[in-house]
Amino acid sequence: MISVQNLVKEFPKKDGSKFYAVDDVSFTANDNEIVCLLGVNGAGKTTTMRVLSTVFQPSGGTATIHGWDIRKDPDKVRENLGFLSGDTGLYNRLRVHEFIRYFGRLYSMVDKDITQRMDEMAELLDMKDFMDKKIEFLSTGMKQKVSIVRSIIHDPPVMILDEPTSGLDILTARNIISFIRSCKERGKCVLFSTHIMREAERLADRIVMIHKGKILAEGSLDLLREETGQMDLDDIFVHYVNLFSDEVEVQAHEF
Amino acid sequence: MNFRKVMIVFRKELMEVLRDKRTLFTTLLLPVILYPVLIIGFNAIMTRQTGVLEERGATVAIIDSVNTQISSRLIAGLEEIPNFSFIPAGDDVQGLYDAKEIQSVVTLKDSLAGDGLIKYHIYIQYDAANERSNMTYGKIFDVLEDIETELISDQLQISGISPELMNMVDVRGRDTADSQKKMGMILGMFLPYIMIIMLFTGASVVAADLVAGEKERKTLETLLVASVGRLEIVIGKFLTIITLSMLNLIVNLFSISFSLRFMLSQSGLDMAGAGMPIKAILILLAAMLPLATLFAAILLSISTFSRNMKEARTYESPLMMVSMIMAMISFLPAIEMNSLMAMIPIVNISLLFKAVMVNEYQVSHLMITILSTVVLVIIAIWGSIKLFNNEGVLMRSDDDSSSLKGIKKNRANFFTPYNGMVYFTLALLLLYYVASRWQMQDLARGLVMTQVIVIALPVFILLKVLKMKAAPVLRITMPRLKELILIPFIAIPATVIVAILAQFINSIYPFPEHYLESLGKLFEMNLPLWGSFLVVAVAPGFCEELLFRGLFPRFFQKYGMKVNIVITALLFAAFHLDPFRFVPVFLLGALLGYLTLRSGSIIHSMIAHTINNGLALLISVFSGSQIIKLVMMDSENLHYWVVIPAAIILFLALRAFHRFTERGEEICAES
Repeated sequence: MISVQNLVKEFPKKDGSKFYAVDDVSFTANDNEIVCLLGVNGAGKTTTMRVLSTVFQPSGGTATIHGWDIRKDPDKVRENLGFLSGDTGLYNRLRVHEFIRYFGRLYSMVDKDITQRMDEMAELLDMKDFMDKKIEFLSTGMKQKVSIVRSIIHDPPVMILDEPTSGLDILTARNIISFIRSCKERGKCVLFSTHIMREAERLADRIVMIHKGKILAEGSLDLLREETGQMDLDDIFVHYVNLFSDEVEVQAHEF
Repeated sequence: MNFRKVMIVFRKELMEVLRDKRTLFTTLLLPVILYPVLIIGFNAIMTRQTGVLEERGATVAIIDSVNTQISSRLIAGLEEIPNFSFIPAGDDVQGLYDAKEIQSVVTLKDSLAGDGLIKYHIYIQYDAANERSNMTYGKIFDVLEDIETELISDQLQISGISPELMNMVDVRGRDTADSQKKMGMILGMFLPYIMIIMLFTGASVVAADLVAGEKERKTLETLLVASVGRLEIVIGKFLTIITLSMLNLIVNLFSISFSLRFMLSQSGLDMAGAGMPIKAILILLAAMLPLATLFAAILLSISTFSRNMKEARTYESPLMMVSMIMAMISFLPAIEMNSLMAMIPIVNISLLFKAVMVNEYQVSHLMITILSTVVLVIIAIWGSIKLFNNEGVLMRSDDDSSSLKGIKKNRANFFTPYNGMVYFTLALLLLYYVASRWQMQDLARGLVMTQVIVIALPVFILLKVLKMKAAPVLRITMPRLKELILIPFIAIPATVIVAILAQFINSIYPFPEHYLESLGKLFEMNLPLWGSFLVVAVAPGFCEELLFRGLFPRFFQKYGMKVNIVITALLFAAFHLDPFRFVPVFLLGALLGYLTLRSGSIIHSMIAHTINNGLALLISVFSGSQIIKLVMMDSENLHYWVVIPAAIILFLALRAFHRFTERGEEICAES
């Protein structure tokens, strides 16, 4: 389970002022649930996820991953988290099995367990042919599969995927989609981000809309439809963005 | 820290680095090939080249203005040199020589020596920068010396004296150094240099790959989200760099040692069997290990800071230059290892290396070298861990630079520390290349031109370009009278204190003579007093203040007043291009910065600056007067006791100034 409480992440700007990439964000994602963080580019999705994965330190608020606080127990958080994003590249000079074994060892797994799990996953994702190849010679789709195995080798209860399908062709993207579904089937808590409305519609149990670092709306697709009176997720999203901009304008007038 | 995870990271990095063909080539393969090719190849070329030169021979013009039997004999001797041809010099001899048609011109002259003897003078004109001409000179010189010996021994025989007389005193040196030590001396000269550079290069190739390379290939985040701490990652990578640079060093050491031995055995010198003793190699490796660690830690920091490998290599190059220069100390014959030298990194290794090679090192120096390096290593590792924990630095990637460009376009945000440093560098270059020339031509005019054109004018041009009003930006506002009255009470004692400080520095670490002379010139310009005062006091007081207290504080505003004062004072001191006065000028700069930033008016510091510079002038002019004599020890130095009343007055005046300007903070924050 992921629980985010009043999370703030600010960055200093060159002129000395502050930029709030994540501004007082709270939401939860339960086990056996797929939650989608939906927003346009630059909305704060990646920053939120980087804070959750302990790559960034929060400036305010906190979050727990499987009960572990990201501020107090970053080691425990990482142990219980599988993280995948467009920025999690692979070591090209390693062979596939070496690469996966490296991360398995970092997760303190014994070699026997790593081998067993690697074989399972290779079977499942149809990777047997290229387990001994160097990663630099793999195709994008193959690399994606290696990334998936890397992120789940330690069987974490929580999965975070940042724009996992961006830059992938349809067939490769399908691998990811089915992977996300299978994670839920195994009772994991899955949080993924996207700016593609259709992906959110198809996969998410609940959608958290984020814009300019703030939460716009949160709920299941049905709930959001009900609240806005719109059917299409595109329209729903635009509806909330407009609402948000009006609010900001009103606030500006008050000053 | 989980050491098991460190080892997992270390093993993986090592495997990965060794799979990189480029790294493998530069660290391991290159030294194995390089030295044999370099040493043996160079050797072969050298011997061949000399042979070829002699075979090609030379054409030499002869001017014989003596024409005696002896001069003919001398020329006949020369003509026996194989491949040399001699021609009588014509009118165009100089033209032929310049056109390199002839390699040398030999002129024979004679004169009468004291006892009625004829003395022969032979002038050999040659071009030492030309290999062929140089060789010609050497040959001719040798042959003439031989003929001279023959001539003398003939004369002696005629006079009935045994020619053996010429060898009456037989001088011979006996070398006690064994071939091992001789080899050590040769190696001790250049080996430290090569080793230190190799260590650096080996480490830098690996270091750039390990963090900046990971950023470039987007694998860093993969590692950061895994179950491994940042400390463990840093130490793992750090060990990788050390291991590979030491490996590189060992390969180098053996390759050099082997090639040299081969070269010496070929050269036929009496050095067969001379090699590097194993013990020396072990001591050197022990001493090089801390240096490898230091390089590793610094290079890892650079790699962590850089966005990509190219940037890392850019940052490494100045460090490389400094290391090279420090390593070169082993070439200097006069400098030897002592306890002080043992504390300076790189220099200590270089000198220790030299001492070890001739087996004349002291264990205490080895210990100091290792210890002092270890202290630096700890600082450097601490720094790289700090840097690795700084997410802003760690997650910096290429996309960040685009947002920087956007800010640069914005006029309001022109005043960034980065732009400040760029401005400062440009001004410094202008000062160095342009202003110094002006001052050489005419000191007084040059000084004024420097102040007005190099220092003040660009400030106004810049503000014009930025479409900003000069007065508010530069804080040109009328100060309050009661503050203004205090300024002499601050400036005069401050000048005195700083002068005594400079005097004190001079007494421990005397300024060089020529430096004092050039400083003295300032007060001996052929100008009336008011003229000198304008040049030396008023012009700098106004122009330098506009730049250093007007413009520069704007660039560093975001750091707050205190840091701003320190930074601008450092720039001010650096701008004077004068290491001897750095500290005094820095202190003055800090005081002037305080006066302006605290009060919000640059007029204060302009007046204080003028007073400071003017006072030195007035003292030198009126050094004869009774009042001045009261505080002066001699014509140049103040009495040390003067510092006490000066400090009291300065303290009281500054306290009053601080109180009068309570509102100062707001003024500083505004704008």
